[in-house]
Amino acid sequence: MAVAAPTARAAALAPPLTARRFRFPLPGALPPPARAAMASFTKAAQQWATFARAWYLLDAKMQPPGKIAAVTAVRLEGRHKPIYHALSDCGDHVVIINTRHIAFSGNKWEQKVYSSHTGYPGGFKQVTATQLHMKDPTAIVKLTIYRMLPKNLQRRTLMQRLHLFPDDVIPEDIQKNLVEELPQPRAVPKRLDEYTPEEIAAFPMVWTPRKYFTVKTTFHLILKKNIEYC
Amino acid sequence: MVLLGAPRWLRSRLTDRFWRVQEVLKYARHFRGRKNRCYKLAVRSVRRAFVKSTKARKEKKRFLRALWITRIEAASLEHGLKYPAFISNLLKSQVELNRKMIADLAIYEPKTFKSLAALAQRRRQEGFLAALGDGKEPEGIFSRIVHHY
Repeated sequence: MAVAAPTARAAALAPPLTARRFRFPLPGALPPPARAAMASFTKAAQQWATFARAWYLLDAKMQPPGKIAAVTAVRLEGRHKPIYHALSDCGDHVVIINTRHIAFSGNKWEQKVYSSHTGYPGGFKQVTATQLHMKDPTAIVKLTIYRMLPKNLQRRTLMQRLHLFPDDVIPEDIQKNLVEELPQPRAVPKRLDEYTPEEIAAFPMVWTPRKYFTVKTTFHLILKKNIEYC
Repeated sequence: MVLLGAPRWLRSRLTDRFWRVQEVLKYARHFRGRKNRCYKLAVRSVRRAFVKSTKARKEKKRFLRALWITRIEAASLEHGLKYPAFISNLLKSQVELNRKMIADLAIYEPKTFKSLAALAQRRRQEGFLAALGDGKEPEGIFSRIVHHY
């Protein structure tokens, strides 16, 4: 898709404005957004390819929800395309999996507070990120993306093009639509037990510990016991 | 000469009221509600529309520039460069294309845009070498400034 896209976009012709609601010239008329307007028959396939709505997959495992949301909001709006225009409705679908396994940095699981009000007196509710995540594993990502989208009437439509799944399981009909997997925004570091023994052996040693400096002797040393060491 | 009698009542009557009204209503035909039909409401709306149109001429320039910048950012990210890096390195390479042209190139001439991005990336690397290197390397090729005056 990424290879086909530059050439596919090459001939989105600046459309003569077909009458939708606007009549030319309007006072203060802006140039029309490049959108699916009349182009020649021979360029029809190219135009479809340029303006088609794509479905992207994003794995949120061990990712900070803010970075996930930044990437997703850009894709939903269509700002990743050079043909972007606010009126063109050129955003794509994004499917996010493993939202249950997102990873906040710092102490945000305990300290970040999500507030809401039911509308009734005394209905101010505040929950921590942990509590919200327990109640609904997709809520954190959904709220983050919702708050990152532009605050206009298009926001709800864009949220409808977002599909969140707490685990790896995706329904068949959505899985058939997926085009490309987006790279994860954060490089997940390997845990110590995920390294193979060969890799650990191949890693260069910074210093050679003397044979007397085992865990036991160091422990005695800390407790200031008299011990012969060299 | 003072007119006396019946002719005085018929001195002057507005005969082209229809066209005077149409002059205003023709600008209101695409409005919503009664203001596209009724003169009294249309006059107010049309005047506001003209005022907004006048003021919008300045904002149009801002809006279009922001749109070009968004499009250039999207296209340069496809090639692995961020917008500030792209634009600043293009200027340092003495490529004085304005944002409108670069945005149009990004849409209609993708290969040209790719070569512009490669140029900006190369100039960026040369800038890093010049700043962080020993100073013993030869100066970069794309960093040369050509004086046309």
